[in-house]
Amino acid sequence: MEKVIGIDLGTTNSCVAIVENGIPTVIPNRGGYKTTPSMVAVTEAGKRLVGHIAKRQAITNAENTVYAAKRLIGRKWNSPQVKNSVATSSYRIVQGPHNDVRIVLRDKEYSVSEISAMVLQEMKLIAEDYLGDEVGKAVITVPAYFNDNQRQATKDAGEIAGLDVIRIINEPTAAALSYGFGKNVEKTIAVYDFGGGTFDISILEIGSSGVFKVIATAGDTFLGGEDVDARVIDWLVQGFREEHGMDLRQDRMALQRLKDAAEKAKCELSSVRETEVNLPFIISSGRNEALHLQRTIDRQTLEGLSNDLIERTVDICRQTLADARLAKEDIEEVLLVGGMTRMPKIQLAVAEFFEREPCKGVHPDESVALGAGIQGSALVGDKHDMVLLDVTPHALGIMTQGGYFEELIPQNTTVPTHRTKIFTTSRDNQTAVKIVVMQGESERAEEDELLGEFILTGLRRAQKGTVEIEVNFEINADGIVSVHAKDLETSKEQSIEVTASSGLTRDEIRNMMEGAKDYMVERRSTEEFEAAKQEAERFVGEIERLLPQVEQIVAASDFGRDAIEKARSIVAKARSAIAKRDIATVKGEIEGLSRTHRMFKGVVAKTH
Amino acid sequence: MTDKPSKKHDARPPDPPDDVGENDRPTLNPPFDVEAFARVASAPSEQPRAPSDAPTNRPPPPAGAAEFGLEPRTDRITLTDEIELEKARAQSMARSPRALTSSALSMANARSPSSPHVEPIGASPEGDGPAPVAAPSSIEAAVLDAIGESAPPEITERTIEDPVAEMRERFSLGDYTGALEMSELILAEEPEHLDATECGENCRTVLENMYAARLGSLDRVPMVVVPRAQMRWLSMDHRAGFVLSLIDGSSSVEMILDVSGMPKLDALRILHELVQQKIVSFR
Repeated sequence: MEKVIGIDLGTTNSCVAIVENGIPTVIPNRGGYKTTPSMVAVTEAGKRLVGHIAKRQAITNAENTVYAAKRLIGRKWNSPQVKNSVATSSYRIVQGPHNDVRIVLRDKEYSVSEISAMVLQEMKLIAEDYLGDEVGKAVITVPAYFNDNQRQATKDAGEIAGLDVIRIINEPTAAALSYGFGKNVEKTIAVYDFGGGTFDISILEIGSSGVFKVIATAGDTFLGGEDVDARVIDWLVQGFREEHGMDLRQDRMALQRLKDAAEKAKCELSSVRETEVNLPFIISSGRNEALHLQRTIDRQTLEGLSNDLIERTVDICRQTLADARLAKEDIEEVLLVGGMTRMPKIQLAVAEFFEREPCKGVHPDESVALGAGIQGSALVGDKHDMVLLDVTPHALGIMTQGGYFEELIPQNTTVPTHRTKIFTTSRDNQTAVKIVVMQGESERAEEDELLGEFILTGLRRAQKGTVEIEVNFEINADGIVSVHAKDLETSKEQSIEVTASSGLTRDEIRNMMEGAKDYMVERRSTEEFEAAKQEAERFVGEIERLLPQVEQIVAASDFGRDAIEKARSIVAKARSAIAKRDIATVKGEIEGLSRTHRMFKGVVAKTH
Repeated sequence: MTDKPSKKHDARPPDPPDDVGENDRPTLNPPFDVEAFARVASAPSEQPRAPSDAPTNRPPPPAGAAEFGLEPRTDRITLTDEIELEKARAQSMARSPRALTSSALSMANARSPSSPHVEPIGASPEGDGPAPVAAPSSIEAAVLDAIGESAPPEITERTIEDPVAEMRERFSLGDYTGALEMSELILAEEPEHLDATECGENCRTVLENMYAARLGSLDRVPMVVVPRAQMRWLSMDHRAGFVLSLIDGSSSVEMILDVSGMPKLDALRILHELVQQKIVSFR
């Protein structure tokens, strides 16, 4: 059966999973971590860094390190989210050629999908290293509130990374899938997802036939564990200032260490009552001496520092339930997702609000990726009861008089689908109508997403409300939305086809794919060379270590001198090939080196 | 061009008696008396200062210096290799506070490009900041305290009339660090200076290669060998502290260079020093 990976492409961390022998498993990266920071950086030397290594230099190389690209993916340049990111990000965000968003790293512009593709490519590599085989297909998760453009941009990112994205699924749905795997669940559940960069609350209905329906979703895309880290950093900086009169924020190296230490302390305080932050030589005193930071932080202090942030998440939960016209009693299970939910204070706050203990059966960091993996496996396997249906993530409709949004296709409608509605003119003698196609849930059209517009002309001059126009919305199996408007009297017709767009053209995507492929070829070749080099250097080292002993042993014989000369020549060739980065020769010399090493070892062993 | 030899420390240990040679000086068995050493090191010298144009007599190392990794001096003048020269230069740069004169280029003014200096909040410009955390029980801390209590170093400036010629001369003599310093000074005044840019780049490349060669393969994984609890008693600056914090036992030298965010040369130099000081070793 073909392998399909499930990827949780998170704002701060990503995770990849697969179903092996019927068991969903998270794949660890080379460092042994099950999550990989969704960070991309370019060093001064032009080298691309992805994951933990990018995170470790995120403050010292802040201008060239992208984090939280997910907040920007598929968004238009003038959206409030983008404006917020422009104001708060350390890296440069500029307007793209299609009113999209571009990120500048070392004077080169990248689309957001391209940046996300670098993270996805890393996840693909992690899976390939683990499986020892190429991976082609993937299921990627996105927040439930993502619109079609954001979903398309995520798909494009997958394509650039060399993945065939067979399905995009909602993160809370994936968590619910992981929770319901192997059980026959029929419940209304809440998924409280407090991650590193965002907070989401979703209410889902799990039906008996395996239907997962998102009833309501809300959140804050600028609220996450990083805000808690920032509070701990503030606390440490303030303490240091009081003790030494120096501001650690003035030094990037100090700030980088503080950031790492704050995050570590926060994580530790989920399991211990107090922990020590010990950062020797953190900053120069300006008198040829370095000062040390050593402070103990306890759980109570951390809770005090993050109390208002936790309260904000509870307020969002309250509002979401109210909007969905649900009572707390309607929620039969609460799933905790995201690393922050390990914090005891958060677990307590959730339990208090929902008046029930949250479920401990799902892994906060892994459940979303596991759900995606389960879905991927079901899509290519025979477990069709677990297959999710493609639904419209948001309602579709048109703008009507007064700036209102008239819904034609409701949210969560299974595709393909079509709906028709009759509208009339709003002014006397109106000869044309403008059909503005929108997506969203707000009654105010201005708060929804504009998908496209067209004008139907040649209407009969008549009193307002008498000319009837039939508007038909149709979504095909590929998710393409067609909108037709027809004057029922004259049968005159106009239409528009709306395709979700990431803001990239096909040509741009193709070029980016080529770039990503080239990068992979180069990276694989470098890795191959490094592996061969290490092996060759190991043999060279061993041979050189044994050489004096062997020389002494075989000095008397001509044959021995010949062997020594040959050994020297092989070592010299290997060294030269390593210096020239000639992978073929290095690989070719390994056998000779190995033989020489064996021979030398044998000679030495015989004489002892 | 005036060239005055600079006097680094007023406080230095008294010279040994004449009849005691360099090699037959009595050695102290460990543990030696730290407090005595500290007192000796911080006591003002009673020797009259040599006039600036008089030949300089090298003082012998203080008693117990060998215990701090200082090699005993011999009467023969030996040429140092570039690594030692570079190390001494770096230490010298780290020790002496530098202030740029308005236009004239000065030897004492060279400033490490990536060593941010953070002024203490509310501290006077003279640097009357708070005292660092001290470790009264440690040998290193006692010595550092002793040095810290001694009079500040006296800095002598040397004006260079033709910095480009000086830079070229240093480069031709193989003094790449000196040539790099000169190129940075020239570029500070004239950022578009082609010769200085080129020479600076060449020096950097040579020095980077030199340190990289000393460290061995960049794939090697360094490890901190000093126990964490004892780390704060070591003698190092905050930049070395930062590089040390990046050493996690799984990252290679190359990865550390990538994440340090420092110029490659600085990071290599610091790593090399950490290895030399036996704070870091390789797997």
